[in-house]
Amino acid sequence: MYNYRMVTDDLYWVGADEHRLALFENIHPLYHGVSYNAYVLLDEKTVLFDTADWAVGRQFLTNVKAVLDGRPLDYLVINHVEPDHAASIEEILLRWPKVKIITTPKAVTLLNQFGFGLDPNAIEEVAEGDTKCFGKHTVAFVYAPMVHWPEAMVTFDTTNGVLFSADAFGSFRALDGKLFADEVDFAGEWIDDARRYYTNIVGKYGPQVVALLNKAASVVGLENIKYLCPLHGPVWRKDLGYIIDKYTHWATYEPEEKGVMIVYASMYGNTEAAAEVLAAKLTARGITNTRLYDVSSTHVSYLISDLFKYSHLVLASVTYNLGIFPPMHNFLMDMKALNLQKRTVAIMGSGSWAPRSGALMKEEIESLKNMTVLDEEMTVTSSLKADNESEIDALADAIAASVLK
Amino acid sequence: MLYQTTQEHEALRATVREFAEAEIKPIAFMLDKNNQFPTEQVKKMGELGLMGLPYEKEYGGAGLDALSYAIAVEELARVDGGAGVILSAHTSLGTYPIYAFGNEEQKKKYLPDLCSGKKIGAFGLTEPNAGSDAGGTETTAEDMGDHYLLNGEKIFITNGGEADTYVVFAVTTPGIGTRGISAFIVEKGWEGFTFEEHYDKMGIRSSATCQLNFNGVKIPKENLLGKEGQGFKIAMATLDGGRIGIAAQALGIAQGAYEAAVEYSKERVQFGKPICQQQNIAFKIADMATKLRCARFLVYSAAELKQAHVPYGMESAMAKQYASDIALEVTNDALQIFGGSGYLKGMEVERFYRDAKITTIYEGTNEIQRVVIASHILGKAAKEAPAAAAAGPRGPETGARKRLILKDGTAQEKVEVLVANLKKDGHDFTVGIPMDTPITQAERVVSAGQGIGEKKNMKLIEDLARAAGAAVGSSRPVAETLKYVPINRYVGMSGQKFKGNLYIACGISGAIQHLKGIKDASCIVAINTNPNAKIFKNCDYGIVGDVMEILPLLTKALDTGEKLPAPPMTKMKRMAPKKVYQPRKLYICNGCGHEYDPMQGDPENEVKPGTAFKDLPEGWTCPHCGEAVDAFIEIEA
Repeated sequence: MYNYRMVTDDLYWVGADEHRLALFENIHPLYHGVSYNAYVLLDEKTVLFDTADWAVGRQFLTNVKAVLDGRPLDYLVINHVEPDHAASIEEILLRWPKVKIITTPKAVTLLNQFGFGLDPNAIEEVAEGDTKCFGKHTVAFVYAPMVHWPEAMVTFDTTNGVLFSADAFGSFRALDGKLFADEVDFAGEWIDDARRYYTNIVGKYGPQVVALLNKAASVVGLENIKYLCPLHGPVWRKDLGYIIDKYTHWATYEPEEKGVMIVYASMYGNTEAAAEVLAAKLTARGITNTRLYDVSSTHVSYLISDLFKYSHLVLASVTYNLGIFPPMHNFLMDMKALNLQKRTVAIMGSGSWAPRSGALMKEEIESLKNMTVLDEEMTVTSSLKADNESEIDALADAIAASVLK
Repeated sequence: MLYQTTQEHEALRATVREFAEAEIKPIAFMLDKNNQFPTEQVKKMGELGLMGLPYEKEYGGAGLDALSYAIAVEELARVDGGAGVILSAHTSLGTYPIYAFGNEEQKKKYLPDLCSGKKIGAFGLTEPNAGSDAGGTETTAEDMGDHYLLNGEKIFITNGGEADTYVVFAVTTPGIGTRGISAFIVEKGWEGFTFEEHYDKMGIRSSATCQLNFNGVKIPKENLLGKEGQGFKIAMATLDGGRIGIAAQALGIAQGAYEAAVEYSKERVQFGKPICQQQNIAFKIADMATKLRCARFLVYSAAELKQAHVPYGMESAMAKQYASDIALEVTNDALQIFGGSGYLKGMEVERFYRDAKITTIYEGTNEIQRVVIASHILGKAAKEAPAAAAAGPRGPETGARKRLILKDGTAQEKVEVLVANLKKDGHDFTVGIPMDTPITQAERVVSAGQGIGEKKNMKLIEDLARAAGAAVGSSRPVAETLKYVPINRYVGMSGQKFKGNLYIACGISGAIQHLKGIKDASCIVAINTNPNAKIFKNCDYGIVGDVMEILPLLTKALDTGEKLPAPPMTKMKRMAPKKVYQPRKLYICNGCGHEYDPMQGDPENEVKPGTAFKDLPEGWTCPHCGEAVDAFIEIEA
C-alpha cells in the first residue's frame, strides 16, 4: 500500500520511515527512528528528487509508482549520493530505464565507486548555477560542497520556492504520519534530535554550512524560500526563520543558551559525587540551567549535541592508566573531530596516586579553537573532602561569574 | 715541502718557554688553588711583546705571524692552561675583531694599548640562552639617537673583570635572528657595566671567567664595530681564528702532561726497572707522541693558512676539535702513567687533566666544530623550520609569573603593597616553620644573594625568616664562596630545589641555575636594587630597593610575635598562564573538509610551517583528496 503525501501543488513526498535501525551510520543510536525523504514533481516532465535507503526500498518504490500513476519517470535529480539516499537508484533504473540522471560530476564519480555502473548517456551533469526547466517548474542547482559530503548540491525550484536541501535541515526521528514541522512539536519534542543529527553529522562543516547559507541568501534570496525539503525529518513551510537561526548558531559554533553541562567520568562514584556537589553549588549560586552526564553511560552523540547548545562545560575525570578515562578521552576526541569552538570550560581532575587527567584534559581543550579554560581548576585526590570545599567553592564561583557575565 | 717551523719561530718559542718556566710554572699550583689571575705575569707578557704578536707594528703589535702567536699560546699552556687562554682570549677574541672590523679611529684608539698589554681584551657573545646558538641572543642595544643603550648579560666570559676592552654582541633589530645582532666595543668602568664574582671552575683556574651585566650602559655611536647587523658575521669570523688559539692551548696542555709523564716513567721503578721499559707504558707514550704530532701539524697548518689569507675556517675547526680531543686522551694517559701520585693536588698532571677538559667545550664545542667541518664538506643543511608551538621568544625560566614589580613610592609603601598581596593570596603569617627546615621540605624560604653584602647583614635575613615563618636559604656563591650558610642550604639546579609556597629572594640577581631551583615555587618575591635583574622577570612580586632598607620594614610588617607551628603544607596554586586563542585565517577544502593552517604548513607536501596560502607552491593540491587551491574557502577562525 502506498503512503505518500502532497507537499504543495505538483510536489509529493514519497519517502518512508525506518524504526528498526538501532544505529544511524552504524554509530549514532536511534530511539525514535528516522525518515528517508524523497520527492516527486509532476510537471510536463516527471522528476524524482533523490531515492531512499534500501531498508525502506519497497515502501519508497510503491510510493513513487503510485504518485506517477502510470506516467513514465523522466528525470532523477541526485542531490546527495550517500547510500541512505542513493541505495535505491539501481531499482529506479531497472523500473524506469529511460530516466535521465541529473547530478554533479563528483556525484557521478562516487556513484560509480559505489558500483552503480551508470550509463554515461543517461547522465546530465550540472554545473553550479545551472537551471533546468521541466515545464511549469524551473529549478536551479547550487553546489553544497562538504555539507557534509563533497558531491552534495541543493536544488531550488524557482517557480514555487521549494528548496531540496539534501542533508541540510535534516533530523533524526521518524515522521509517523506527520510531514510538516508545523504538524509536530518541533521546538519541544524534535529539536534535540535535530540538533543531535546536525552536530554529529554536519558539525565539523560549520564554515561550509555558513558558505551555503550565504550563497542561498545571495543567489536565491532567503525570503524566496517557501519550503525546505530535507532528506530526513519534517518539511518546513512555516517559521523557516526558526530553523535557519538554529543552523546559524550551530554552524558558527555559537551557544544557543547560557547554561552549564557537567560531564563526569567516575569509576567508583567519587568523581561523580564531586560533580554532583559542584552542580548543587551552582544551583545555590542561581545557575539552574545545568545538565549532568555520566560519560560512561551516555552516548557521545548526546554529549556533543548538548555541547553545541550550552555555553559552559565542566569536565570531571578520573585518571586512568596515567591518562584520561577512555570514554572521556573519546568525548574530547569527538569534540575535536567536530570542530567544537567558543565554549568556556572548567576542569576537575581526579586520581589517587598520580592525578594527571586535569592537565591532560586542559591540553586537549586548548587545542580546540576559541576555547576559554577557567583558571580555577581543581584536583580531587580519590574523593572530595571537607578540606576541598574552598576549592570547589572557588570553582563554582568562577563558573557562576562566567555564566552570569 | 718540509713541514718545519723557522728558526725565528723556534727562537720565539725559546723566549716564551723561558718566561713560562721562570715566571709561571713556579706559581701555577698556587694560582690554581686560589683561583687567582696572574696580574703581574700578564703585565710582563706585555713587556715581552707577547700581547700583540700577530698585529702590525703600526698598531703596537709585534708584526709576527699567526703561527708565532699559536706557539706562544702553546708554550704558556704547556706550564699552565689558564695562562694560555688569557693570551688566546686577549689576542684572538678581544683584539682581533677590532683589528679586522674596526675603522681606523677605533683601531688607533684601542689597538696600541691592547697590543702592548697595557690593557687586556675580552669578548662577550655567550648568554644563558645563547650558547652554541647565537640566534638566542637576548642582550639588546637600543638606538637612542646619539648613543646605544645596552641591556642584558653575558656569561662565561674569559678575562671577564680583568679586561679593560670588551667586544660585546647585542640585538639591535629584534625578531630577525642572527641578522639583527651587532658588535660593540665596550669599556670597563662605564656606568651600568658590572661584573659578577668569578666562577669557581674545574680547571684553567688562573684565568678569570665571570658574568658581565649591562644595565642601561650608554655606548657612544662610534663604538659600533662594523655595521649594524654584522655582529654575527664578526663573531663567526673571530671564532674561526680564535679556534687556532684554543687548539694551541689544548696542544700545550697535552704537551706539558706528556713531558711530565715521560719524565716520570723513566724515574719510576717497578718490577726492577723503570716503568717506561714496560711495553704497555712505552706504547702509551708512543701513541701520545703521535697524537701530539698530528695535532701540532693541524694547528700550525691552520695558523699558516690564516696568515696566508686563504680560507681556513674548516682547518681551524679540525685543529681545535682534534687537538682538544687528544688533549683529553693524552692528559688521561699521562695521569694514568703517574698512577696514584698523579691523582694528588699539587701534581702538574692532576691540573693538566682538569685544564684540558674545557678545550673541548669553549669557543665552539667540539660538536659544533664537527658541524662547521661537515658544513664545509656537505654544504649548509637547510634550516629546519621551528616547530609551530616553539615559535616565539622563550618565556621566563620559572614559568608564568605575576610580575607585579613595585618601583615607585616609598620603601614603606612598597612593603605594604607586597604584604597585602601576600595575605590576599592566602599566606598565613601567624604560623611558621623552623629556620633550619631542609629547603626541599620548607613551605617558605627567605634566601640571601650576594646583594646582601657583608656577613653581618645575614642577621637581616634571619630576622625576616623568623618574621615570615620561613627557613633560610641562599644563592650558590653565598654558601660556596662567601660561606655565610652551610653548603646544603643553597638553592639551585645543582643545590637544593625549593617546591614550597613562598620564596623571598633578597639581593639575588637570578642566574639561570638558581632560577631552575625555584621554578616550582608557588610564589616568588624578589628584592633587589637592580631593576633589570633577571629575578624580576621570574617573580610574582618584586620590590626594587636596597635590601638594607627593605628587609627591616618587611620583617616588621610580617612579625606576629611567636609563630604557631605550621600545619602540613598545602601546596598553593600558582598563576596559570592564560592561553589566548589567536583567530587567524584558515583555508578549508571543499573536496574533503581538510583545513590548511598556514601556521602548520603541509609537512606531507614539504610545505614549511608559516607558508601563507597564497605562497603555496605551484601545483600544490590538498594532501588528502587532491583538490586544487581554488577548491578551498577562506575562513577566519
